Amino acid sequence: MFNGMCAVLYRELTIYRKRALKQILSSSLSPLLFLIAFGWGFGSGVTVGGLSYISFLIPGLITMNSLNQSFAISAEINISRFYFHTFDEYLIAPVSLVGIAVGEASFGVFRGLLATMIIFIYAFLFNVPLSFNPLFILAILLHTFIFSFLAVTTSMIVKDHSGQALVNNFVITPMIFLCGTFYPIDKLPHAFKLLVYAFPLTYSTKVIRAALTGGQVSFIYVGLMVFYCIIFFLTSLWALRSVEA
Amino acid sequence: MDNLINNILTVAGLRKNYKGKTAVDGVSFSFSPGEFVGLLGPNGAGKTTTIKMLTGLIKPSSGMIYYYGIDFYEKSQKTKALIGVVPQQNNLDRDLTAYENLYLHAIAYGIPKALRREKIDELLDFSGLTGYRNRPVKQFSGGTMRRLVILRALLHDPKILFLDEPTVGLDPQIRRVIWDFIVKINKMKNTTILLTTHYIEEAERLCKRVLIINNGLIIVDGDPEQLKDGMGRFVLEVYKDDKVDEEFFDSRQEALAALENSTFTAKVRGVTLEDVFLRLTGRRINV
Ligand SMILES: Nc1ncnc2c1ncn2[C@@H]1O[C@H](COP(=O)(O)OP(=O)(O)OP(=O)(O)O)[C@@H](O)[C@H]1O
Ligand SMILES: [Mg+2]
Repeated sequence: MFNGMCAVLYRELTIYRKRALKQILSSSLSPLLFLIAFGWGFGSGVTVGGLSYISFLIPGLITMNSLNQSFAISAEINISRFYFHTFDEYLIAPVSLVGIAVGEASFGVFRGLLATMIIFIYAFLFNVPLSFNPLFILAILLHTFIFSFLAVTTSMIVKDHSGQALVNNFVITPMIFLCGTFYPIDKLPHAFKLLVYAFPLTYSTKVIRAALTGGQVSFIYVGLMVFYCIIFFLTSLWALRSVEA
Repeated sequence: MDNLINNILTVAGLRKNYKGKTAVDGVSFSFSPGEFVGLLGPNGAGKTTTIKMLTGLIKPSSGMIYYYGIDFYEKSQKTKALIGVVPQQNNLDRDLTAYENLYLHAIAYGIPKALRREKIDELLDFSGLTGYRNRPVKQFSGGTMRRLVILRALLHDPKILFLDEPTVGLDPQIRRVIWDFIVKINKMKNTTILLTTHYIEEAERLCKRVLIINNGLIIVDGDPEQLKDGMGRFVLEVYKDDKVDEEFFDSRQEALAALENSTFTAKVRGVTLEDVFLRLTGRRINV
């Protein structure tokens, strides 16, 4: 298991090191635009559930930005599968599929955590107080693992790049806009709520926001995050097992 | 059963169906350690599909694969360690340097950390690529990339090396360099080699044994020299109007005598595996 995991991480981190600055810059811009548009644009007078809007928004931006970065490994695995065939190297090597899945997902988590740090810096600059605690660390790890394993699964299932784009447009983007990252979901119509409660992002946003703003953390939601994490870990193994080059 | 354990590779009834199409139609063969075998066939014959099944990149629709009598699909991690693969398309990481590509491979194949650097440098030296060690692969020429892919496949000292069209698209001079390199690997490391090609010359020059594959079926398995002997060693090509007649002879003298007597434009040449293929299938390997 470890050879596969180490090989994957060696590759991803060696390449990441060469591109780090570009990647970090590109994951810094869009949350900043959101902060300016919604944080300043709405003004400081608006409050949501007892929080100033910007304090409500920051945890949402953390889940959004880390999700985007973690899930981005999906498109990259795709390129290495379909364009350069570098992924075949792992499939030929005497390594376990668990190692490949965990290796890729750990890299997704790493990128998600960097994206999280960027928002922490913004929070500091915008003078938004956050409470950093063990529960938050647990939640952000679960959150990034969920979407990294989903990314591995997706990248193994899709047949080409347009399949990947389809998932981005029809699953990831709607999730980011519907799951309470920018506004509280209890205002949504009932039918939508059913949909929204099927998406894991809803739970990670609630837990992460509660942990960061000193709210009440629901352990049922934490349990659901663990559940999603296990499910997507299993689907990634299943997808890897059936992948053919 | 004895043979199963002694043969490095035994394949029985290997088949691959794609939707509505059979790419490999039940092939069987076995290799002794150290053999140098060519899998020769036209485009689309099923060479790559065969190699992919033998190396675990695709799953066979049916059939058995054993390495030293060990079932490949039951013990795939154990058997994969015995295999080196040079795929038809170069699959190096273009953003990594030659060294980093090899290092990645060393990790995946469980080469102990303390030995990695030494093994890599030793191999770079063996293949004369030391000068490329720290350059990103995307700057390499086709021939250099190809050599690096072969080198990478050797890093974990495989017992059997699969090369899928190792010299396709390379100029004749580089092709020769690669041929010499592969022969050197076979001789010095006693690595068993299965090389696919649709170049007649490549199969004839390198391989002590050729499997000729056509439409997913192996139609011939033998020593290229003996196969050619079976045809007669010399051909008289007679150009009549717009078609070419071929007559086979056992010796040059007989062929030349027939040439003397011919009233048409004609020439004598040696028999090649192309003639063997043509006789069996009614068409040419390379059109
Ligand atoms: N993924 C696939 N889906 C459907 N058909 C396929 C697939 N891969 C290969 N084939 C078909 O199977 C047959 C054998 O292909 P294969 O690539 O094994 O041939 P090859 O002998 O390697 O040819 P070449 O010399 O062109 O590399 C071809 O007819 C090809 O079109
Ligand atoms: Mg091929």
